[in-house]
Amino acid sequence: MLLAIKRYFRKDLIPLLADLRLAIALLLAIALFSISGTIIEQGKSLAFYQENYPTEPALFGFVSWKFILIAGLNHVYSTWWFLAILILFGASLTACTFARQITALRWFSRTWNFYSQPRQFGKMALSTELEGYSIEALKQQLGDRRYKIYEKATEEIAQETAQETTEKTVEETTKERLEPDLINHEAPKMLYAHKGLVGRIGPIVVHASMLLILLGAIVGAMTGFFAQEMVPSGETFRIQNIFEAGPWAAPQVPKDWSVRVNRFWIDYSPEGRVDQFYSDLSVLNDEGTELKRKTIHVNEPLRYKNVTLYQADWAVGAVKVRLNNSPVFNLPMAPLNTESGKLWGTWVPTKPDMSEGVSLIAQDLQGTLLLYNMQGQLASTVREGGSTQANGVTLFLDEIIGSTGLQIKADPGIPIVYLGFGLLMIGVMMSYVSHSQVWALQIADRLYVGGRTNRAQVSFERELLGLLDELTASDSRSQPDEPVLAAIASTQ
Amino acid sequence: MDTVSLNLASLTLADLESWLDNASFAVLFVTMLAYWGGLAFENVKILPVIGGAGMAIGNLCLAALLTARWIEGGYFPLSNLYESLFFIAWGITAMHFVAERMSGSRWVGAVTSPVAMGISAFAALTLPDAMQVSEPLVPALKSNWLMMHVSVMLLSYSALMVGALIAIAFLIVTRGQAVELKGSSVGTGGFRNRKYQLKKAEPVSPQPTVSTEKMTLSSSGGTAVLEAPAMLTTAVITTANAGVKTEPKTPATVLSPQRLTLADTLDNISYRIIGLGFPLLTIGIIAGAVWANEAWGSYWSWDPKETWALITWLVFAAYLHARITKGWQGRRPAILAASGFVVVWICYLGVNLLGKGLHSYGWFF
Repeated sequence: MLLAIKRYFRKDLIPLLADLRLAIALLLAIALFSISGTIIEQGKSLAFYQENYPTEPALFGFVSWKFILIAGLNHVYSTWWFLAILILFGASLTACTFARQITALRWFSRTWNFYSQPRQFGKMALSTELEGYSIEALKQQLGDRRYKIYEKATEEIAQETAQETTEKTVEETTKERLEPDLINHEAPKMLYAHKGLVGRIGPIVVHASMLLILLGAIVGAMTGFFAQEMVPSGETFRIQNIFEAGPWAAPQVPKDWSVRVNRFWIDYSPEGRVDQFYSDLSVLNDEGTELKRKTIHVNEPLRYKNVTLYQADWAVGAVKVRLNNSPVFNLPMAPLNTESGKLWGTWVPTKPDMSEGVSLIAQDLQGTLLLYNMQGQLASTVREGGSTQANGVTLFLDEIIGSTGLQIKADPGIPIVYLGFGLLMIGVMMSYVSHSQVWALQIADRLYVGGRTNRAQVSFERELLGLLDELTASDSRSQPDEPVLAAIASTQ
Repeated sequence: MDTVSLNLASLTLADLESWLDNASFAVLFVTMLAYWGGLAFENVKILPVIGGAGMAIGNLCLAALLTARWIEGGYFPLSNLYESLFFIAWGITAMHFVAERMSGSRWVGAVTSPVAMGISAFAALTLPDAMQVSEPLVPALKSNWLMMHVSVMLLSYSALMVGALIAIAFLIVTRGQAVELKGSSVGTGGFRNRKYQLKKAEPVSPQPTVSTEKMTLSSSGGTAVLEAPAMLTTAVITTANAGVKTEPKTPATVLSPQRLTLADTLDNISYRIIGLGFPLLTIGIIAGAVWANEAWGSYWSWDPKETWALITWLVFAAYLHARITKGWQGRRPAILAASGFVVVWICYLGVNLLGKGLHSYGWFF
């Protein structure tokens, strides 16, 4: 039974998963479904979809709100089928890495890829045969171009071939067996040179790092959490408003410390544009002792024990006002829904029985409040630290208090994801390198040279022809009077 | 007095910018005509030279324009559509030189120059003036990551576009033919074409295959196919290779290199330039992800822009894999690469039509 499963994996499943056509189909499928998520609005209310995607007439005859909701197109990236494709993609990546790439690498990194037969050179597009040039001069040229060179005399390889016969297929062995008439001559020399093996390792690193990123994302989704808090300047809070958490996120949620917002403020440019938001935060333990303090802004978060606090939003939190000789009232401000930007407002009674009052409206933290009377007309404005008359009462505006909107998260998957990012960047750069291989065989005064590369055919052609050109131009020839070289470029 | 001289300085800088953006458009327009003329009239040797010079001047104009912006704004000039368009145009002209150097083909200029010209025309002439002015950065963009992320992304767009354009040129050159590809991570090329080898047996007769026709066309232009090294071309066949066994059907002939054709060259250069753009895209996306994680706590949030960057990445990844797939040889991967051109444009501009978010450069509405 177990054997049958193992056999199924080896013979059927892994070859299927490692099939490149499947990989390409998956890449394009992920792309296609991702596109749908950028066209159909994500995470809106039911009413939104009902309004924008009516059943009659449905878009293209079938895209109605019902279809969208059933297929999960309102949250494509977290539907079971999208995640299933991602998992299949991960499986394909894994299978491909082990079944194809590592086997290929093993082949290319071996050092005995010698060619001992002239006809083997005939298979390569870029191969030539020269007369009167030695393999030594070629070695010099290859060395100058930073090739790694391996050499063997044919006797050696003959022995080696004999030893390896047991491991090789009959076909391979016959291919490498020497033709008898060659052995009678003085020992032919063989050369194998290559450079850019890193280009063969690159794709493996790319695939492995992508698996790491997927793994890190899964770890993050399982053990991380997201929270948001809107906190007025001066208050202390615990992280409670968690809106997204994985099943094993509980240990990450801080229980023995809280955060105090010492101050929140906005820097405005002279034109009144927001320059930057700042929150001066202190991390406090249960006794109220400060453990860490930092002023954060967008692009500069606070980190404490796996938890990170980001400057994400802001609001007008409250106003401190006095009426005539009253004590200071701290009135919370409520956000008002308007079409043109954000507004915050509160209401202040001006009579003890609350039969009259004024509305206080703020549009930013630049220090000005607008006062509206009971009829909804603009009565006056007041600056921070100033006062104004309202319904016969003097209203002092002591302070406009801002609230900081903090995004809080813990993601234990981050180190894995970042490791994956780092390796992926290295891997893709490695993958640009072309693996170039050059073979040479010298039989008496005849030198066969051939080469191929996996990526940069044009540059390699230039390099190899340039190399041969230099070789023939240099004085390394043994018999200078004979025709230089028996080759014609096929273009002529 | 101080303020007056400052105004004067900024005025001249702005003047210089508007002069430079028009100049780059005009120069690239001439460049395009020169390259197209060069393709149409192969005997006029001066045209590709004009094209190359025009591309170089255009490149310098764009670089000067961006530098002036940098001085004026005080930050790396990549904050709005106008600046990013000129950066992309600059990137395309730069990548053009990489591709032209690699391939030596005038086809490269013929496809890159119209796009570079089109982008600078759009930015200089069509964009409303209000969108051309340099504006202060919003808080979210005030980070060193801006330069790292955006410049790498735009460079990758440029490289991918140039690669896709050369793929289009390849499709034009090989229309109606079956082609075998050269160059992939496993190395599909590099082996001798059997048909070719048999043809080779007839010593001097011109080879009637279609690819060879294209090749002669290009070699008469003297650019697309590399000049064979002098020693090689002047060499003479002398010895009937005694002792060398060849396949029975092939008459005894001396081995010589089989050269790449124009189609091979274009295809391979397209692959190499996309191969250059792909790591840049990867690094750009990762830089963006790390920045997002540092700035607001999430390295991936399926924002339309980042989703489209991922889609672009996936399409070109599919292209790179299509090249090593049996049964997918020939023109099909090139068609995928050419469609990548559209995807890059949607990623770069189209997303801003769909939605807002941190990635909007501002648009007409």
